Amino acid sequence: MKLLVGYTADQRGAEAIELAAALVQGTLSPSLVIAIVLPASTPFSTVYPGGDHGFDSILSAKVDEWAAHALNQVPAGVTVRVVARSVPSVAEGLMELAEDSGAHGIVLGGRKRHRAGFFMPGGVANALLHASSVSVIMSSPQALASLRAAQGRITRMTAFVGDRPGAREVIASAARFATARGVDLRVATLVADSDVSDPATELNQHLVRTRKFLTELTDSMGLQASVEVVSGQSLDEAIESLEWIDGEFAILGSARLAATRRLFIGPKAQRILRQLNVPMAVVPN
Amino acid sequence: MSQDLRRDTVEQPDTGLHSKGLSTGTVGVLGLVVIGISCIAPAYTLTAGLGATVSEVGTQLPAILLAGFIPMLLVALGYRELNNAMPDSGTSFTWATRAFGPMIGWMGGWGLIAATVIVLSNLAAVAVDFFYILIAQLTGNQAIAELTDNLWVNIPTTLAFIAAAAYISYRGLNATKVFQYILVGFQVSVLLLFAVMAFTNSTPFDRTPITLDMFNPASVDSFSAFAAGISLSIFVFWGWDVTLTMNEETTDPNKVPGRGATWTVLLIIALYLAVSLGVLYWAGVGETGLGAGNEANQESIFAVLSGPIMGPLAILMSLAILSSSAASLQSTMVSPARTLLAMGYYKALPPSFAKISPRFMSPSVATIVSAAAAAVFYVVTRLISENALWDTITALGLMICFYYGLTALACVWYFRGELFTNVRNFFFKFLAPLVGGVVLLVMFFSTAVESMNPDYGSGSAIGNVGMVFILGVGVLLLGVAIMLFTRVRHPAFFKGETIKTR
Repeated sequence: MKLLVGYTADQRGAEAIELAAALVQGTLSPSLVIAIVLPASTPFSTVYPGGDHGFDSILSAKVDEWAAHALNQVPAGVTVRVVARSVPSVAEGLMELAEDSGAHGIVLGGRKRHRAGFFMPGGVANALLHASSVSVIMSSPQALASLRAAQGRITRMTAFVGDRPGAREVIASAARFATARGVDLRVATLVADSDVSDPATELNQHLVRTRKFLTELTDSMGLQASVEVVSGQSLDEAIESLEWIDGEFAILGSARLAATRRLFIGPKAQRILRQLNVPMAVVPN
Repeated sequence: MSQDLRRDTVEQPDTGLHSKGLSTGTVGVLGLVVIGISCIAPAYTLTAGLGATVSEVGTQLPAILLAGFIPMLLVALGYRELNNAMPDSGTSFTWATRAFGPMIGWMGGWGLIAATVIVLSNLAAVAVDFFYILIAQLTGNQAIAELTDNLWVNIPTTLAFIAAAAYISYRGLNATKVFQYILVGFQVSVLLLFAVMAFTNSTPFDRTPITLDMFNPASVDSFSAFAAGISLSIFVFWGWDVTLTMNEETTDPNKVPGRGATWTVLLIIALYLAVSLGVLYWAGVGETGLGAGNEANQESIFAVLSGPIMGPLAILMSLAILSSSAASLQSTMVSPARTLLAMGYYKALPPSFAKISPRFMSPSVATIVSAAAAAVFYVVTRLISENALWDTITALGLMICFYYGLTALACVWYFRGELFTNVRNFFFKFLAPLVGGVVLLVMFFSTAVESMNPDYGSGSAIGNVGMVFILGVGVLLLGVAIMLFTRVRHPAFFKGETIKTR
């Protein structure tokens, strides 16, 4: 498996490498591409006075330094190379590089940031989540702590699905992930009270129906998977009632709005992103 | 462990740095003219520089504008040679160091940093003035325009503008092509409109006929007035030389830079002449009322004249000046930050100046320091000078003369072994930069000596020494002190270990 790491020479970048290395280790020909994306200088953003002040050559030397540092963080046994490219937009550059290198996914280090009560993935992550044609994998310090507690090994895959047709594809990707690493697969669905028109009478029935649908679905795919349907007054409450083990990895599907083979993250997935403290991937359908 | 399993490769050719990525070969003559004019920012330079120049040379304003371009041209030719010889270092600091050694090189870098920091504080102040004027024009409430005279309003607003510009340049956000075309097109149109309206206005304040003598530099009263006028008119062309240093970005490096530079300067001179003649024709150089000779009008000429001349359309002028000064504020912020970065990188300053943000790929410490320096400079000037804008512009002219002059001489000295090998070298590496550099340094010394007079500039003084002298020479002496300090603490650069001298 080959992953592209969107690298910045700071704590986030180190976290992204750590997660990416954990994900590829144990797969067939584990390989990382560490991407350092530089802003493209356009003539219309000319600095005045005095030309570029030698900035390009200093930056170039700095990138070499960062590249050497990044290589040192990758564990032995993983094939790794560093690419640096100037592009007009970071997200576009990462997508381009992922395509060129044939990577299966893009890994980003990130922070959980709350602005006015909303979780905002960083600008780059957000752009990728709405346009990437490969999986986007995200970490946070909390997620890394969970991975470290499991000695840097992925221990279980959890696929978040709804009860819609898209579920099959998400489960299938999660299953491929799980099989490649020989870990258990769990399929989870979140139900909020507002998902049914009259929670008092219909909720239970809805939960039973969803569980039945997912069990039949995984069985029909020939998978050994545990199915969990959890509910709560709100989505947040539902997420909280899920149990997590150290080293767990979550997979979410792209929203139905998305164009084929492109990501588009929906409102439900946004909420899940905000709540989860494990590393996660968003896969295109 | 099984280290041999690992195959590390760093792909160097893919960095795209040396080829400058996507920008190769995209700029034609028109694009280059737009870039040149946006660097000059004529709406801003005219409002900031015209009044101060009139105060020195009166009706000889057109003559001094024309004369001021000549040293700029001569120096720019030398710049182009240095830029072609050392394209990867591209700054007065490294050029002067390679030619003259670390001490003079350090001062060249300092001169450039000082000039840009001073212009930053002036840009911010002009932007703030027109910000309040624009709000007043939009709301019809004249009292708002006067808010800018209240230091408790003015200083915090100016600091906010500087902080915003620093944040934008730290984030590495850049102006796009479309944005530059619109901004430049708008500025040029509004300035032309101003000139046309000044000439067609039926009730000029002090109708002054245009005479041929206005174009005669020899009619300027004294040499010191001439020198001061030249150093100010260097300021109004500052930015033009960028068109000469663009080569690989253009569609045809053999023709485009030369044509672009020529068209830019023809356009800008035409614009300057139209506006300055319009101002002279409409307002005269009288020292009362709306006269351009009135000290109260000289710090920001359009703030006073655009209303009476343009009527309700004056709002366009405010918008043009606000947009051009705010855009320049942001793009100019990058310059001292990068020179500080280069000085940190080559160990001419503490190494923390060399920090680059890994996320935004921009200088971090150096950007913050530049913004802080511009803020401090502004607050100090605003608090102790009666007329901060005016004095800063005059001090700026001084500083530009200093580092331009030094860099031009660096060109002559750097190429000293090949000056007389052919006619081209003789003109471009020797004669042009030598004459330009000497002229500018003469202007520098003449203006510096003159500015000791307490009546110089706006007439502010400390202990019977003119404010402009204290600002300009004080900043240079501060540089000498910092240089000596760095030399003791971080001697590597001064021993010639980081930049090889020729």
